[in-house]
Amino acid sequence: MRRLSFRGNAHHPSSCHTQARADTEGLAVVAIIGQPNVGKSLLFNRLTGSYVTVSNYPGTTVEVARGRARLRCCNQALRIVDTPGLFNLVPTTEEERVTRRILFDERPQLILNVVDAKNLPRMLPLTLQLIEAGLPLILDLNMMDEAEFHGLTIDLPGLEYALGIPVVGTIGTNGSGIEYLRERISTCVHPACAVRPCH
Amino acid sequence: MSTQLVQYAPAIERSITEISRLLRGGYPLSTRAVALLLLAGDDEIRAAVEARDQAISSRIDELVAKVRSSQSQPLAYMLAAQRQATVERLLPRFVRIKAGRAVGFGERLSQAMMNPLTGVPILVAALAALYAFVGVLGAQTLVGWLEAGVFVRFFNPWVDALVNRLIPWPVIQALFAGEYGILTLGIRYAVAIILPIVGTFFFAFAIIEDSGYLPRLALLIDRLFKTIGLNGRAVIPMVLGFGCDTMATIVTRTLETRRERVIATVLLALAVPCSAQLGVIFAILAGRPLALLIWAMIVIGIFLLVGFLAARLVPGERAAFYMELPPLRLPSLSNVLVKTYTRMEWYLREVLPLFVLASVLIWLGQITGLFSTALTALDPVVRWIGLPHEATPAILFGFFRRDYGAAGLYDIQGMLNGVQLTVAAVTLTLFVPCVAQAAVMLKERGWKIALGAIAFIVPFAFVVGWGLSRLLIWLRLPL
Repeated sequence: MRRLSFRGNAHHPSSCHTQARADTEGLAVVAIIGQPNVGKSLLFNRLTGSYVTVSNYPGTTVEVARGRARLRCCNQALRIVDTPGLFNLVPTTEEERVTRRILFDERPQLILNVVDAKNLPRMLPLTLQLIEAGLPLILDLNMMDEAEFHGLTIDLPGLEYALGIPVVGTIGTNGSGIEYLRERISTCVHPACAVRPCH
Repeated sequence: MSTQLVQYAPAIERSITEISRLLRGGYPLSTRAVALLLLAGDDEIRAAVEARDQAISSRIDELVAKVRSSQSQPLAYMLAAQRQATVERLLPRFVRIKAGRAVGFGERLSQAMMNPLTGVPILVAALAALYAFVGVLGAQTLVGWLEAGVFVRFFNPWVDALVNRLIPWPVIQALFAGEYGILTLGIRYAVAIILPIVGTFFFAFAIIEDSGYLPRLALLIDRLFKTIGLNGRAVIPMVLGFGCDTMATIVTRTLETRRERVIATVLLALAVPCSAQLGVIFAILAGRPLALLIWAMIVIGIFLLVGFLAARLVPGERAAFYMELPPLRLPSLSNVLVKTYTRMEWYLREVLPLFVLASVLIWLGQITGLFSTALTALDPVVRWIGLPHEATPAILFGFFRRDYGAAGLYDIQGMLNGVQLTVAAVTLTLFVPCVAQAAVMLKERGWKIALGAIAFIVPFAFVVGWGLSRLLIWLRLPL
């Protein structure tokens, strides 16, 4: 088992735009984090235009995938990292360890926490842990269509205010909400092209 | 402000403050979060803190031990419960639920899939549909058309003629054309026999994957699996093995305990045929339902037996079963097609070079006489399990790749009787994983487990083949 290195310990990011940790190509890194089977890989495909395997069962992604995404404003490129599912910040399986290593060692500039909108009571404890950790975060409520089908109405701005992080809603299967998500990502990663301020 | 979102019990909050003060910052996450992870008993984080300052780490250990002894419940559990309570308190303000939604067809189908009474018939129906699609359409119609119609009739004679005209030396001719040539054997096996089978299989499998059936199947089989020391979660890598055992061996990472990962790895290598093998076995046993039944019973029986024995032998705790149930969904055709395409591309990219390499090795073996030496060495074993010596090359190919061996068997099926076909199918299913799978076993489980597994599997496969052939001859079944 590899040890966590906590490399580069000079800084302690507490908001969206503290230190910029870039990858080898100088791109800002955005990591997609979330519990298994919430649609992380489909979102990764939507954002990067590439293809990683997507299935309807937990545990499809066992290896980290990396791809480039282009933001519309500023003509900036981003590195998007798709990770295996994570239930809790304290990992129990090998692939959860892999994901945590990305969070702590690679220090993405932004974390996109994807959750299943129809299962919020089970999803949000991980989000709270990420908030507690002071990691720069966007919360994405995915599968909004299924939540609606289950009779749920979710007050996104209210949740955004209560949690103190940007909250967006998407439907990965038809791409709805992805453009708005892109906009919020660019605001957090490149404040210069901000349409609205990042929290 | 956001760090105070969750308020823990006063004693825990006090120790968080004390630990945070000792940590003095400089971590990629807030000291509050580091303190919480340490309280939850996170070894990795503890090691990272210790690596930085041993004295501080041991003082923190004392603090953690103190809170732990003051609480009646495990700390990790208490922290999780507090977070859950915060979520439950927060959500009603932002989520409204319209009550009284009727139980839909999807919900009833989902229940039926997991109930043993209805679930088993549904499983049988799903397997029958898979057989009809892969075994009949893929392995018989498409393979028949490509193999007999395109390759044997046009491609091979054309290649033979072309090579004979362009290359004057018979030694080099044999490399590209003829009985074991790269083009006439390697490419033919890969394109005409294996490709239609894995193509139809990957397509059917993508539909099953995207529908959400697999987790329900896992729940159905969970009870059976418990007796062999695996939980239902392990069924997913097992079922994925029917697509490709190499991929499935990587997916065993999602299993929680080392014990489960080892058992699953061995079972995948031994008793789970990959899509290419499965398709070829469907094809050679087609029209012999009894033989197919015997093959299935033997493989399932060995799966359970070895799983059971391995569970006795491999020490370790049993994992609790907990699985997410995703909703049943109608698969989207575009995702199914893209997934089938990427998997086929990946498979061809992996398989073609190996098939070509196999042809080259056979060619080298023929020149140096090693090929016939290997055949001569293997011949007694092949005869021992009751197969004619024409089957020896197929078994030898099988050492290189299971699907290559299966394709070789398909090639000579006319020469074998029912008993021999059944024995050959069982032996080929059981024995050695392909080169890629062996490499992944080595990488994921280490050489001890990998070599141990292979040393067990190869002789075991032949012993089972021998026993089966004796038994079938003695029983005089009309196969």
